Amino acid sequence: MKNSYSVWICEFANVPTYPLSGLIYGAHNQGTVRLPYCYVVIKGQGHIAMVDVGYNHKEYGATLANLYGVRDWHPPRQVLAEIGIAPEDVTRIFLTHAHFDHMGNIEDFPRATFYIQERELSKWVWAMSLERRFRWIMGGVDPADIMRTVALARDHRLVAVNGDREDVLPGIDLHAAPDTHTWGSMYVRLRNDLSPNSKNTWIFAGDLVYMQENLRGYLKEDPEYIPIGFAMGSQFNLLMTTEDLVKGVDGDVNRVIAIHEDRLKDMFPSRLAANGVRVTELALADGEPSRVT
Amino acid sequence: MTDDQTTVYVLQTQPYFEDLKQVAAQLAGLLVLEESGAAPDHPMLLSARSVYRNAVDGLRSTRVPSCARVHHNHLLAAAQNLSAALQPTADKLIPLEQSYAELRAASNALPGFPMLNFEKGCCAVHR
Repeated sequence: MKNSYSVWICEFANVPTYPLSGLIYGAHNQGTVRLPYCYVVIKGQGHIAMVDVGYNHKEYGATLANLYGVRDWHPPRQVLAEIGIAPEDVTRIFLTHAHFDHMGNIEDFPRATFYIQERELSKWVWAMSLERRFRWIMGGVDPADIMRTVALARDHRLVAVNGDREDVLPGIDLHAAPDTHTWGSMYVRLRNDLSPNSKNTWIFAGDLVYMQENLRGYLKEDPEYIPIGFAMGSQFNLLMTTEDLVKGVDGDVNRVIAIHEDRLKDMFPSRLAANGVRVTELALADGEPSRVT
Repeated sequence: MTDDQTTVYVLQTQPYFEDLKQVAAQLAGLLVLEESGAAPDHPMLLSARSVYRNAVDGLRSTRVPSCARVHHNHLLAAAQNLSAALQPTADKLIPLEQSYAELRAASNALPGFPMLNFEKGCCAVHR
């Protein structure tokens, strides 16, 4: 299968025990799972792109570690070194949504242009104008991230996308998923053979799905969609978006990548480095050496 | 450990701290929309001004124990910078960044003033 891009999932932190009910709607009192925090790196066609950038350890690392059990955090420079990349090499970053654990590390990528849905920005700004009793809505959003985004915009490194956009890089499409996990979530679809009717597609779903069970339910022989446990929009919209995700990979749910899915390391070639960084390899472009063998 | 007077102060000023954070975030959001070419909803500025006035009035009427003086000064400095950022012709980014730095300093000066509420986030859950 021809690959125009190499793709890696890089784990930069994890929570050892996260309640399953937060990940799969309705899974109450069913225990906990290990929750990895990851970002996606896509390399090829003269670019290095990422999907999301992780959280800001400098400001929140101690709090997340002490109160919420997040551990094994590694800085982007250390994580990306495992695949031979430096943060300065990254040219494009696609932010799936504006939560702190997906867009907190903006400052670590000084040469990248960032893409986010305009709706994600405008609806958060609207939410901030609501009365204090609505403050639940702002959970997960760090005003400092918004402040850093202003600097990006002034530096002409912010693209506010309005809906879907094809070929933001050759073979890479952005798809809006309004009123789902957040108001302006989006996912990234990679056509790795660059064909408009590609049979070699991957989807990077952000937080639209957390686990394989969101895509196929509990019974492989009788699949169903089960939404995630956290929707700012609606569970219905999440389900309809899940249908789009699955259709976008011709039904091969293994190619819908949920970056909080701990079992990715079992589904694809993977390596745990001595420093604790885990790299999972989804695809290799011609001439690119494996980073996991 | 905090004494009773400080505890009362913390409980009184927490909402004003949250208000100032909200105004800073709202102004930053409007600025992002402006800079990225989107049409910001200017009526939100009215809401920001209203929240700001409420916070400043509250801060000025709060009784400040001596051990919370530094904290209170950070909040007042944050408010002063936000006032500059709320002026129609001002370059908002610099006073906004300064106000946020003051809020962060206040957050570090006393317990009970978190910059980010993780409890309501989706990927961090309280142990």
